[in-house]
Formats: sequence, C-alpha cells, structure tokens
Amino acid sequence: MKMAFQVMVQPYTYEDLDTVIHMAEAALKRGHEVTIFLFADSVLSVNKHVKPVKTDRNIPERMRELASKGVKIEICGICMDYRGLTQEMIVEGSRPSGLPELAKLLATCDRFVSLMG
Amino acid sequence: MRAVALVLVKYGVDNPAEKIKLQIASENDKVVLIQNGVYWAVLEDVTKLTRGKVYALKGDLEARGYCETDVRGVELIDYDGFIELVEQEEKFIG
Amino acid sequence: MGKKLLFVVYQSPVGSIWVNEAFRTAFGMYGEDLEPAVLLMHEAVVAVSKSCRPECLGLLPVSMVKRYLARYGTPVYVVKEDLEKFKVRELDEEYKPTLVSEEDLPKLFHEYDRVIFM
Repeated sequence: MKMAFQVMVQPYTYEDLDTVIHMAEAALKRGHEVTIFLFADSVLSVNKHVKPVKTDRNIPERMRELASKGVKIEICGICMDYRGLTQEMIVEGSRPSGLPELAKLLATCDRFVSLMG
Repeated sequence: MRAVALVLVKYGVDNPAEKIKLQIASENDKVVLIQNGVYWAVLEDVTKLTRGKVYALKGDLEARGYCETDVRGVELIDYDGFIELVEQEEKFIG
Repeated sequence: MGKKLLFVVYQSPVGSIWVNEAFRTAFGMYGEDLEPAVLLMHEAVVAVSKSCRPECLGLLPVSMVKRYLARYGTPVYVVKEDLEKFKVRELDEEYKPTLVSEEDLPKLFHEYDRVIFM
C-alpha cells in the first residue's frame, strides 16, 4: 500500500517526529511504500545543522536514515521559507515540495494519517 | 452502514478537539490513543466517552509510568499493530 | 469521484496559524480530483466573527481567504454551539458559513474520506 503520514509540529518539543519515525519503520517492515509530508514547524526535523546533546536522539539523522531506506520525505516549501530553511540545509533524501504535491498524495495514496497540530 | 474510520487521538483529556473525536466515533470505528492521548484511558473510563473500539500504543502508555492494569476496555498495541489498523481502515479522522 | 477532505480547526484565529493554514491547504487541493471543506470549532469559530481582526496586532489576516472562498466555493462549516460559547455576535456572511450543530458532527465527519485536524 501507499501510505502517507503528515506531521505538523516541531521536533524535540513534541513527540510527533518520534511517533512518525516509528510508524514509518513499522510500515516499511510490513512492505508498504511510505511518504512523510512535513508541514509547518515539523520542517525543522530535516535541518542537518541541528545539534542535539549527545545523550539525545538525532532526529534529522533518523530522517536521513529513513530516506535511505526508501521513505519519501517531502517538505512544504512555504513552511521552509517561513523558517529560514534552505535546500542546502536539508538532509539527504528529503526534498522541498508543496501543496500541489500534498494534493497529489491525498488523491493517490491508499492510506493517509495526519498528526494534528 | 457507514464506512469504518481510524480515529487518532494524541492529546490529553483537556483538549476539546480530542473530546469531539471520541464523541463522533461510531461503533465500527477504531480509536487509537497515542502520545498523551493515552491519558484518556488512564484518567477516564474511555469506553463511556466513545462508541468506537479503543486501542492504545503500549509504548506511549508505559513510558508515562502506567501499565495494562491502569486502563480498562482498551487493547494495547505496538507500532506493528498500529500500522495493521491503518491498513484495515481507509477513512481517517485525526 | 474525488476524495472528500475535511480540514478541522479548533484553535483561535488570533494567536495561532491553524485557521490560515487550514484554508491555505484546502485551496491547494483543487489541482487534483479532491473535494475540500473546512470546519471551524471551539476557539476557531471566532474567525467568522465580523469583528475578528488579527491584523490589528500585525498578524496575518484571515479575511484574505474570502477572495478564494468566492472563487472556489469551498464549504465552510461552523459549530453553532461554539458560536454561542465564544459569544460571536455578528457573522461575516462573506465566509458563507454553514452552521452545524454538535449533534450533526458524527454524520458530517463520516461523510469525508479524510478528516484532518490542524
């Protein structure tokens, strides 16, 4: 199945990115095609310049690993602009996207799960 | 019969949107409590707040210091079980 | 037939971005075979008050969505009980709001394929 997961809130402050990473891993294991759509503050989760303390998890790195396993990571472009995130700053395998792509995702995916703002 | 929906609840008992989601769930819907949504099962009798069948992420429950005996009428699931529920229901409310 | 999408907002249009984002997202759906609608509940119902003006604080106005509503005819549902609760005195009819009662919500939600809370 084509599964799409949308996230809206920021990493570290809230648990949503952790939740969606676990969801994506479980969905991959079950043989699904997974897309994560990052909306609003959640776009901060793919900033490769993020430096958490050593004891904490590195969310952008986890996102990069997911992308390397085949998870598509799409980022709302306007949300990036609003937060000063440029294409050079995002982790490998993620890509700037937008509402036309979200619309296409909503029209074509088999399952859509959104973590509310 | 209405198509069955997966209803996702992630905020705790003070959140008005989550309360509405629980209220609107029909008896064939599947309600999944994740993150702080597990408090609905710990602090309340969630089966009286919703008609849907209720599931909760075991990891989110246990990480907050609760266990299976702290909740009633709720089936505990892991992420694999969560995705299995996602597979089953095309409609989504959350 | 296209999938039906309901974008639901419950947070205030002044002090949070979700009302603006719900409308922006809904309008962005028309390039595909999708039928978007917006439901305002709880604090978000204040958005359709004639005297609601986030721009007074230098915030992004909500009223800019009216132009697109006129163009696309996107349905806007507003929970009637919440209008009373939040003492909204005069509705801005340019939003063409359809008032729904709390008891109608189970049916309304289940009419949509994807209900996305913002």
